[in-house]
Amino acid sequence: MFGHLKSEDFVNLIESSEAPAKWRRHIDSCHRCRATWETLSAVHVEITSVGEDIPEPDWAAFRSSVRDKLFARSVQREASMRRWTGWLMRPSAVSTLSLMLAVGIPTGAFLWHLQKDHNTLSIGLETPKPASPAELLEAGTDKTVFDDLMELSEREQEQLHRLLQSAQKGSSHLQ
Amino acid sequence: MVSANQDADAQLVDRYLAGDATAFDEIMIRHQRRIYRLCYRFVNNREDAKDLAQDVFYKAFAHLENFRRESSLKTWLYQIAMNHCVNHVKKHSQHFVEVSENTASATASVQSQLEDREEREQFRHLLQRLPPKQKAILELRINEQLSYEEIAKISGRSISTIKASVFFALEKLRELVKHPSKRAEKA
Repeated sequence: MFGHLKSEDFVNLIESSEAPAKWRRHIDSCHRCRATWETLSAVHVEITSVGEDIPEPDWAAFRSSVRDKLFARSVQREASMRRWTGWLMRPSAVSTLSLMLAVGIPTGAFLWHLQKDHNTLSIGLETPKPASPAELLEAGTDKTVFDDLMELSEREQEQLHRLLQSAQKGSSHLQ
Repeated sequence: MVSANQDADAQLVDRYLAGDATAFDEIMIRHQRRIYRLCYRFVNNREDAKDLAQDVFYKAFAHLENFRRESSLKTWLYQIAMNHCVNHVKKHSQHFVEVSENTASATASVQSQLEDREEREQFRHLLQRLPPKQKAILELRINEQLSYEEIAKISGRSISTIKASVFFALEKLRELVKHPSKRAEKA
């Protein structure tokens, strides 16, 4: 059983002189498909004959116009790029940037060291270092000024003793 | 297999992208006429067709670095032209006719209705009433004589769909020839 032709078949039939024999047989026997094929073929022929007399433009001017538009586009893009780079090169922008760098880099370095110390303390991998006097004072240690006196030489101890005595005398005179 | 034309186009594109200004003219001369003619068939006047075709080339050259060598430059340009023309026609709110797909009553001879020049001019106007995409496919096939494979690449549809579009476009034209004053509907 062979049904009616499909839209694709009609197009193949219209455009090709060599259609399958079964299509030809069907067209001969089917009034509906034959009518469609004939009218569409006529429309197809008409389209091919329409539009042959298309007026053409001045091709040199045509190309020139496209070239000018492209050139204008590239100029616009360059100007836009220059605007951005020009902004960066402005003196005020440069001074602001320098100030930011001058403040930012030391602050960053300080914070980085602080963070690093905190990390090493919390992890406890670093070997303990002998504490400086200032650190010990800050930490509330028992070591006092007299402990430092013990470390003075005999001559220094004598000088200090004399200074203390003369100071005591001076204060008693005042009293 | 890459054709000689395709190869020549690819070389011209490379030259243009490398900064060779003469490649611009060579590409234009190779393709300007066919793109202009396609645009003309959409708008039916020289000035609008010229503007449309120039827009197509401007777009193409501005984005030439995006051109992938999978298809030919001709196919790529047709693709841009087709989209641009379809959008243009849609934007300018032309009215397109919707016709019945019943073909059983088609008995009148179309040829006899289109004998003189005046009627052919009328036929040209009827072509403008086709939905833009259908019209584009019909133009690419019949007037530009592109293969169905090429049209399928340009429009991103299957060959069967393209053939069906040609069929329905012819059907609508036949209906318009029979009833030129048929109520126009927006596509």
